[in-house]
Amino acid sequence: MRWLIGFSLVGETGQAPLPVALRCANGERVKVRSNSTLRAARPILVSMAAALAVLITSDTALADDTAAPTPAATEALVTNQVSDSLSFVDLATFKSVAEIKIGGKPAGIAVSPDRLRAYLTSPDGKTVTVVDTKARAVLRRITVEGGPLGIAAHPSNGLIYVADWYSKRLTAIDPESGATRGQIDVGSSPSGIAVTPDGAFVLTADRDSNQVSIVDAATFKPVAAIPVGTRPFGISLDPSGTRAFTANVGSDDVTVIDLKTRKVAGRVAAGHHPYTVAFAGGHGFVTNQSGGTVTVFDAATLAVEKTIEVGDTPEGIAADPSGRFVYVACWFENALDRIDVATLSVTGQATVGDGPRSFGSFLR
Amino acid sequence: MSLRGFGLAAAFVALLPATAMLPVTAWAHGPTRQKIVETIEINAPIEKVWAVVSNFQDMSWHPAFVKTEGTGGNDVNATRILTTKDGGKINEKLDKWDAEKKMLQYEITEVDVKVVPVTGYESWITLKGEGDKTTMEWKGKFYRGYVNNDPPPELNDDAAVAAITGVYKSGLEALKKKLEGG
Repeated sequence: MRWLIGFSLVGETGQAPLPVALRCANGERVKVRSNSTLRAARPILVSMAAALAVLITSDTALADDTAAPTPAATEALVTNQVSDSLSFVDLATFKSVAEIKIGGKPAGIAVSPDRLRAYLTSPDGKTVTVVDTKARAVLRRITVEGGPLGIAAHPSNGLIYVADWYSKRLTAIDPESGATRGQIDVGSSPSGIAVTPDGAFVLTADRDSNQVSIVDAATFKPVAAIPVGTRPFGISLDPSGTRAFTANVGSDDVTVIDLKTRKVAGRVAAGHHPYTVAFAGGHGFVTNQSGGTVTVFDAATLAVEKTIEVGDTPEGIAADPSGRFVYVACWFENALDRIDVATLSVTGQATVGDGPRSFGSFLR
Repeated sequence: MSLRGFGLAAAFVALLPATAMLPVTAWAHGPTRQKIVETIEINAPIEKVWAVVSNFQDMSWHPAFVKTEGTGGNDVNATRILTTKDGGKINEKLDKWDAEKKMLQYEITEVDVKVVPVTGYESWITLKGEGDKTTMEWKGKFYRGYVNNDPPPELNDDAAVAAITGVYKSGLEALKKKLEGG
């Protein structure tokens, strides 16, 4: 059974246009057009706004013949660490259409749930930069301690989480005011961050502790630490949000964690120095920094299916919500590569700035 | 002081006070990776250049190294230890070796930042031939020697870039001279 665990509204205005889209636990958004129960509930859902989580089974909605496909992302935002900039790549034409100065060697990135903001970490500049993605302009810079690298946005509470590469610090920040809302210690050198789709937990890959920390988002306290492979860097959730995957730079593999049991549930052999993982079409895609490849595995069986040659030093990777394409930032190649999920082959390359990393979520 | 044309020993060691050295794990590194690409055109056919640079067990074409000792030949995962003029040791491992593409890729598995002020170093040598000329590209990616925040100047990003640039330029120039000279 699949569950809907919240809802969001289609459209970027936040003015509650209909139809209502429901966000499933697996990250898909489903437009509901003809289900009578939901149609009746629609005005109520709208008036409740995003403050209330709605828990209903979605089998009916998912079976709805009129359900529209999830809208594809329109733009990739690529942090260029060497050229200190952010590239905007139009995904329809697959060309870079703008590049703005960021500073401080930007690396990590998160996009707000409404896709109107991007949050970039600059570890050398000790800043988080808030970007208005429509205006393609820097809104503000938030000074943080240490070396901010990993970053993630919470799906509903408005906060962003920033990991300090040099310590054990995980900081919760309100990106609109710049205020710190909490600071805790997780393992050493927290790198990647993921937030469960229901917003209940924040996960960090603690690189120098070889573990994943699970933090309760409501209390902002660590509740579990799970040993994984050597030097976990990126951490990603599968579309169901029930399993976490770390890319382990040291042991050249991916550790799979069952979030219900909080135990390791599998391992995938990756290429040399894996970076992070994305999911589309029932596959997992692992960027292998040193191999210049992406390892594709079956997300259910964890069997490796294919190794795809991509541009030199692939790092950040993200799947289009439509499930058709996966995009890979290739650091040495200065390019964003596009992988067709149906054929598992590279079908495009867009030139971006120097040293693209895009460590985090970077599609809007 | 320019690092251009210097060998490893001269370029690196003089700059570093011993107190700047911290224990360095094999995996720790700074947040911003650096990249270097240097190329040179050599008036020699590609097979002649490849014969020299493809031998992972012999780096004597580079003036910075006085000795190469290793095992595994040119197979993937072969290892070698380079010794610099001042006795510094650099442990390296071969990751790719492709005679068709005329490309090899290797990494430093262990080195003291007193010898080379970098961490997480990986490198590629690629040849492209046209008639009697060969273009050799030597590129590397690496992090600075200081793995923590706020590095001292001798172990910062600029120092790492300057050092590797010096190694590449001096090596390429020496190789060109050696191959064109006979």
